[in-house]
Amino acid sequence: MSLDYIAAQVFNGLASGAYYALLALGLSIIFGTLRVINFSHGAMYMLGAFGAYYGAQVIGLPFWAALIVIPIAVGIFGMVLEWFVLRRVAQNDPIYGLLLTFAITLVIVNVMTLLAGTLGSPYAIPDALSGATNLGFTYFPTYKLFVIAVSLGVCIAAWLVIDRSLLGARIRASIEAPALVRAFGVDTPRLVTITFGIGVAIAALAGVLAAPTTNVLPTMGDEIIIYTFAIVVIGGLGSITGSIVAGFLLGLLQAIGAVYYPPIATTLIFIVMVLIIWMRPSGLLGRPESTR
Amino acid sequence: MRLSKIASVALAALMLCVPLSTAPVTAAGQSPIKIAVITDMGGVYSSLSGRGSVLAVQMAVDDFGGKVLGRPIVVDAVDHRNTATVADAKAREEFSNGADLAVDLVNSATALAVSSVGNQLHKLVIVTGAADKDITGKFCNKYTYMYAYDTYALAHTEAIPIVKGGDKTWYGIAPDYAFGHSMAEEFTNAITPYGGKFDKIDFMPLGTTDFSSYMLAAKNSGAQVLALLNAGADTVNSMKAAKEFGLDKTMKIIAGLFFTGQVPTDPTLWTGLKFADSWYWDQSPEAAAWAKRWSAKMGGGQMPISIQAADYSATLQWLKAVKAVGSTDADKVVAYLDGHKFSDMYATDAEFRTADHQVIHDFYLYQVLPPSEYKEPNAWVKVIGTVPGDQAFPNPATEGCHRTW
Amino acid sequence: MSARTVLFALVAIAALILPRVIYPILAMDILCFALLALALDLLFGFAGLLSFGQAMFLGGSAYTTAILVQDYHLDGALAIVAAVLYATLLALAVGMIVVRRSGIYFAMITLAIAQIEYFAAINWSNITGGENGLPMTTRGTLFGLSVSNDVAFYYVVFVAVAICFWLVVRVTNSPFGTVLSAIRQNETRAVALGYRVNRYKLGAFVIAGALSGLAGAFYALANRLAGLEMCDWHTSGAVVMMTVLGGSGTIVGPAIGAAVYELLNYFVSSTALGRETDLVIGLVFAFCILAFRQGIAGGVLSIPWRKTST
Repeated sequence: MSLDYIAAQVFNGLASGAYYALLALGLSIIFGTLRVINFSHGAMYMLGAFGAYYGAQVIGLPFWAALIVIPIAVGIFGMVLEWFVLRRVAQNDPIYGLLLTFAITLVIVNVMTLLAGTLGSPYAIPDALSGATNLGFTYFPTYKLFVIAVSLGVCIAAWLVIDRSLLGARIRASIEAPALVRAFGVDTPRLVTITFGIGVAIAALAGVLAAPTTNVLPTMGDEIIIYTFAIVVIGGLGSITGSIVAGFLLGLLQAIGAVYYPPIATTLIFIVMVLIIWMRPSGLLGRPESTR
Repeated sequence: MRLSKIASVALAALMLCVPLSTAPVTAAGQSPIKIAVITDMGGVYSSLSGRGSVLAVQMAVDDFGGKVLGRPIVVDAVDHRNTATVADAKAREEFSNGADLAVDLVNSATALAVSSVGNQLHKLVIVTGAADKDITGKFCNKYTYMYAYDTYALAHTEAIPIVKGGDKTWYGIAPDYAFGHSMAEEFTNAITPYGGKFDKIDFMPLGTTDFSSYMLAAKNSGAQVLALLNAGADTVNSMKAAKEFGLDKTMKIIAGLFFTGQVPTDPTLWTGLKFADSWYWDQSPEAAAWAKRWSAKMGGGQMPISIQAADYSATLQWLKAVKAVGSTDADKVVAYLDGHKFSDMYATDAEFRTADHQVIHDFYLYQVLPPSEYKEPNAWVKVIGTVPGDQAFPNPATEGCHRTW
Repeated sequence: MSARTVLFALVAIAALILPRVIYPILAMDILCFALLALALDLLFGFAGLLSFGQAMFLGGSAYTTAILVQDYHLDGALAIVAAVLYATLLALAVGMIVVRRSGIYFAMITLAIAQIEYFAAINWSNITGGENGLPMTTRGTLFGLSVSNDVAFYYVVFVAVAICFWLVVRVTNSPFGTVLSAIRQNETRAVALGYRVNRYKLGAFVIAGALSGLAGAFYALANRLAGLEMCDWHTSGAVVMMTVLGGSGTIVGPAIGAAVYELLNYFVSSTALGRETDLVIGLVFAFCILAFRQGIAGGVLSIPWRKTST
């Protein structure tokens, strides 16, 4: 196997890891603040992709604009959902949040199936990003490089915001000690809603990025959601950096695994997850606090 | 305390008063003849079959006159929810409630389950929507016919004209489950006698959405033909990846299981693709006339595909058989259908083959045209090869059907 | 006579007349899912452990039963025993990994292991039939007697399931059950009181696994079929929905939840709303969670039926 091939595979892995990282990031942010496992995260990803499609169909929205507009639109939808629906089970066991988002997913996917059918909706790679780039050791699809770049950019930006900004500090504080934060006068409910919106928006961004290269189907979020859960657990529940790192890492691992022993590629993520929970339950970068 | 006791007794009494049977009142001779269209109404296959198939069957009933043997014909739309257990239970229920024919069965798992039910209850099952050739191979039985296509027909029609044309080096990707392995085997068997050879067939794990690594490998192999031995979303994703790597310019691309009706979902993506199907809406004036009627009833905007046309044709053939033998008794109908030859809007020179209950008919190789070459709206494909029925479908002697009836 | 006993009696009566009201095989499906949901209730409602992978027991034991009866022509009783044994051993193995965690980790790891079993079922298609599943040509025999009559077999399954429900009532009322509840309410305190918490959790997991295995065996026999969807995580999710919908922690709730879910799934898809079946189920479920978290049984039981004297 040539170095070319392996190098290209590494980039393939990074490209699929880019999606995992974005999705895991969003899920992690939501879990950290709301303590809710957002089962509808995959559906939000799907809505992002469909948003790009319908945007193009109905108002001729170009890809570049879709990258900004659609995540904001889906983010707002998410905030509405959180404010009017999810909030009602916030005081209860987090299990109810999980179940409620599970039910919401059923509804959203069915609605999209009725609207869009199951044959797939087309979305083309924008001309400027089509074709392949010469990386020196191999040619690689330009669009995939773009995806890696955007994902890295967003992940780093998210990390910076959470680590350095006031909003980030508040988010981190309410992850650690929600009651205290409220005592300090921070409008926690609003913070929670905004955070949910951000998490969902990031998922939608991943969806927009996926639309040109993946079949845009109502069920496209279905498969990816359980991988996302696994990655968040591997990275460490509540650790933003952990989710990002785990996302890219697992993408890489899957691509390399596909080269040497294909049947294991999709199960690999679960096997790694089981091993991590067994040996280091707080995940790669998580805090060893509440693993019980 | 007394209140709860009274309430519980009353509730219990109420529940016991629920009618003990929901079977329809029938008086022999007055009861309708029922056809159950067992399909996927809202899931993954609903756009390929679903409502459109129910409509096709209803059109057949209406065109036949709405009654046979003096009894009205009723079409039941049955949603199998892509679950074999639901398909099994609903099929049994339909048959117990007087259905004499189950048709469509998109999704091989449900087709196998219902075929088994039909065999046990001696009711006719005509499969138009599933691809597994084992339905008329090792799982063949007296009461099931496969009407439209199977993996053998797809493979042979797609592979033989291409390899005969000189393209002998192939590269394949297939999903790593029964369908994928079946397609891989069929294609290999099809091209080998003509000197064709697969450089490699990559089996991708279930759930793969990223085909980049495989496209890269295909590109590096230098093969002339890229065979996408998959279906549905996998085909879309692999085609997108193939185009990303520019493979459509250097290789001939064949899709394993692809229906004409999928072209309009993304006309530019599919341009140049070659695939096999049993029917195309514009293949003849009769077909086009029927297709336009169907399209109008569906609200315009889509054309029927082979599965739906097969549903129409199969229903008509069954009704004609019932009329000819004077009864819906499955044994009599099977005796009539075995060896029966016909030509209609769907199939030319077709025959209900006795040996394995495969309905054989011509199979076509299509190529997707670029939108600029459409002669009229929705004229997406052109025929580039035809394989006659007796060569398109498996040889009953070698396909594992042990005729026990 | 407590409200709970009355509810149990009503459910039992409904179950007895069920095969006369709806199609017998659907009725048996309801019984099997009631048993699955009961197992989950033991884990979740009593021990506080949410398993998102019960499908691994349903699927694995269904395949075991189907293979033994169809390919090896074993008597149903033997096949059922083998299937339950498979489920119990699997629960023991998985349990030993899983019980050291709780909450979301517990849920995720059960989901992951169920997925691994799912992929195995697809890949070992020469045993399992892959995505085509394993249709059975006959239901075989049970203790030598033919069970091809659907209604007769229903009552056999009913008796077995009723016994299981009784067993679970006994378990939850036993000291073992009380400790489980304690663990759910405050695990740290239970540990501090000296209970070997992991052993109790493992015990609950294994019992739940065995019950689920029995459900899987009956499911395969009732439907004459073992299929991939039985290992799918959506099925695990459906079981959780049934338990919560019916009312977790009530024991009778899961039976009600299973009936509601299965009936919705079967009948809504047969109506004009067929293409909106998932939508309906999702809305019903969401409404249940938002409006009354205790589920149907929980809600009914919380109504003050008795007039308390002042």
